[in-house]
Amino acid sequence: MRAQRAATGAALRPFPGPSRQQVRLKNGLTVHLSPRGPLPLIALRFVVRAGSALDPQGREGLADFTARLMRRGAGGLSADALNEATDFVGASISAGVGEDLFVVSLQTPTRHFDQMLELFAKVLTAPDFAQKELELARRRTLAQLANALDDPSALADRALVHQLYAGHPYGHETYGGARSLERFERAELQAFHQGRVGPGIGHLFVVGDVEPDAVVKKLEGALGGWRGGPDNEPVPLPLGPLQNAGTVLLVDKPDQTQAQVRIAGPGLRRGHPDHHALQVMNSSLGGGFTSRLVREIRVKRGLSYGASSYFEMLQAGGSFQFSSFTKTATVPQLIALALGEVARMKAKGPTELEVETARRYLAGLYPARLETNEAIAQGLTDVVLFGLGDRWIPTFRDRVMAVTRKEAARVAAQWLPDAGLVMVVVGNAKALEAPLARYGKVTVVQPSLLA
Amino acid sequence: MAKPKPSLSPALAALSKSIREATLPNGLKVRLLPSSAVPTISYYTFFKVGSRNERPGITGISHLFEHMMFNGAKKYGPGEFDKVLESAGGSSNAYTSNDLTVYHQDFMAEALPTVIDLESDRMRSLAVAPKLLESERQVVLEERRLRVDNDQLGLMDEELGALMFKAHAYRWPVIGWQRDIEAITREDCLRYFRTFYAPNNATLYVAGDFEPGDALARIKKAYSGIKPGPAAPPVLDAEPTQRGERRAEVRYPAQAPAVMVSWRAPRSTERDTLVLDVLQFILSAGQSSRLTKALIFEQEVAVSCGVDFSWRLDPAAFTVTLELKPGGDAAAAERALTAQLDAVVSQGVTDREVEKATNNLAASMLRELATNNGRAHSLGNWEAMLGDWRTGLNLADAYRSVTRQQVQQAAAQYLRPELRNVVTLVPTQSAEVAA
Repeated sequence: MRAQRAATGAALRPFPGPSRQQVRLKNGLTVHLSPRGPLPLIALRFVVRAGSALDPQGREGLADFTARLMRRGAGGLSADALNEATDFVGASISAGVGEDLFVVSLQTPTRHFDQMLELFAKVLTAPDFAQKELELARRRTLAQLANALDDPSALADRALVHQLYAGHPYGHETYGGARSLERFERAELQAFHQGRVGPGIGHLFVVGDVEPDAVVKKLEGALGGWRGGPDNEPVPLPLGPLQNAGTVLLVDKPDQTQAQVRIAGPGLRRGHPDHHALQVMNSSLGGGFTSRLVREIRVKRGLSYGASSYFEMLQAGGSFQFSSFTKTATVPQLIALALGEVARMKAKGPTELEVETARRYLAGLYPARLETNEAIAQGLTDVVLFGLGDRWIPTFRDRVMAVTRKEAARVAAQWLPDAGLVMVVVGNAKALEAPLARYGKVTVVQPSLLA
Repeated sequence: MAKPKPSLSPALAALSKSIREATLPNGLKVRLLPSSAVPTISYYTFFKVGSRNERPGITGISHLFEHMMFNGAKKYGPGEFDKVLESAGGSSNAYTSNDLTVYHQDFMAEALPTVIDLESDRMRSLAVAPKLLESERQVVLEERRLRVDNDQLGLMDEELGALMFKAHAYRWPVIGWQRDIEAITREDCLRYFRTFYAPNNATLYVAGDFEPGDALARIKKAYSGIKPGPAAPPVLDAEPTQRGERRAEVRYPAQAPAVMVSWRAPRSTERDTLVLDVLQFILSAGQSSRLTKALIFEQEVAVSCGVDFSWRLDPAAFTVTLELKPGGDAAAAERALTAQLDAVVSQGVTDREVEKATNNLAASMLRELATNNGRAHSLGNWEAMLGDWRTGLNLADAYRSVTRQQVQQAAAQYLRPELRNVVTLVPTQSAEVAA
């Protein structure tokens, strides 16, 4: 085995990463160009800091609901007309939000770019928010939210968001909840669009089969007249200590033969200097298939089909999360194993061999994460919006390869949680309530509480 | 190598021209797709075996066996496959379908010799350690609990297969019946390996940053010593003609009802498969598609609507799935669906709808070909399901030759109301049935 590694131990083949050329349209919109071939496809991605974390209190889900309606009629075209035009040429326009960002994107074959850019501009700058469409989207979203209560894994993830980030705007799902959905009005969607989405603090990433000068001229024509939106970047509230540390939320699903388990603790923000060392350490703990959690839970004992850990890193802060599932009877064993492995990693860090494996695993696969126009647009978004800097992508593999065992052990000791955990279990409460009591105060709730 | 048709777009023509093919004396087929866009490689091994090749009593063995392929061979023992691969800068996964078992690795280009060594080792000399078989069996049972036993659509899909197929192996789920998974023996696994994992039942697709001459030499050296097996036993399609509508219910605690409606459809190599691909897109691809527009946005009888027409080696299924809102009326949703399909049969579709569907089929194909992984998988899948990757690269043209009359005729022939198979999810409040 060591000979295997020696054979591949030379310097990494060059990977310069995507190019990025920045220009500003006359109205202030910052455009980032990354021309590339060989396929005749183009991706556009507009991004602005207007994610769900900025939803007004009592109006949780406003950004998401606005995004849902952006392409349901805009600039004099009905939803049907817009859909027909994009679908016909094999293009797609979509809008969505995360915790931090509001995104509108276009994928199109090159030969339909001019026409699709025109539609993209209508969707981005002049959505109708017609009352009829609003009511339709409200009914459909409410039904989807209700139906999603049947998916145990999604339910566990939803419950964790509430428990983990309680008291902070991250503590609601991007799409809010039934109560706020029922109240959204047309005027506030319009106000959100006019007040939060605009060229001043907006960024447009253009990746693929484009010629820079020509495409900038087209963008100036299609988007140059757009006005509105904020002049200054909004700043999210910092994430404070976890309010629900040391608690267990048990969502009762009496018919389930398998329980979903989530365990979380405090973490760190996007772009932290410890990023690379942390990725290496977590890869050994619960990232790859040879990680400790997968080995102990799946490979050695057959307790689950999957087990993983990861650091969620957002603009204002983040968290450490463990996720797995097992049949009801083995839930206590699974939790004990997971906590044991986290504690062991925190105390001693990964071994030299684990660090070596994790470094090559992360560095080796990194270029494959940046193969498509859409992936590059997303990667450049992170570089620009989270202040990672232009050297982030080209130096990523080298920085990962430079992580030492000592550094990995230090970040394990510093960032892995040992107490004050937040736990969520979705399963048969009657069978699980007693064994979970040793991990904190157990609250049993019905799934409908999360609607 | 056949010349690409002149009508291929420049990007596809260049891809076609770059492909190098070989067949080793032991029957292993090798396809190399070099590209230096990023310094990584995707390595696919397609075995022509899936749940279609099973029999009652050992259902699920194809999938359980897929798991066992990661549990040790002669040179690389238990746990070493992933350890060696990850430490060389790669990751691995696999999937099993009704017809195929597919293994793939993505890795930094430097690791190609390591991957060839790992893959040829387990094709040559897989070990099935009894203790690891037991532990892997438990993993698969957890996977079954996740995907079927605690998932309404999984339960419905399993019911639908058993409703539609009486004799063919498509009757049982790929993951297998629980009791069969529990009962499969080590001897079953070894026999299965000898029968289906011979080089003459496999095709390699390698896409990415490598020099083809060097790669082929390494592959030949590693795999040539593996002995070919006897031809895999043929699969008999003994499915009798369906002579009337079939219905089943799944009662399970749920927020809302759901309906699956399915019809028997042609095998992947038949011309009508392309016509039904076009019909599938007309019905359900994009918000302007017929069913999406009518059932979700206009009539609001469903909150989601999907059509699944997956190519299969034997005559398969064309399935519409409707998820309703809480309190929704499953019978009304089914009637609305029937009315939409009746309209296709009686009035046909428009030229514009056919053109839209073919544009989208071509565009989605192009997007799949954007990555090393996508190229290796798409072309390998085309060869397995259509007989030749060239047929796949020319699909955009083939779709463009489909006419609206053919779409109308296919709808009339295959989607007949009296030949449908319907599974309805009836929500219950508690464990009244599940216990």
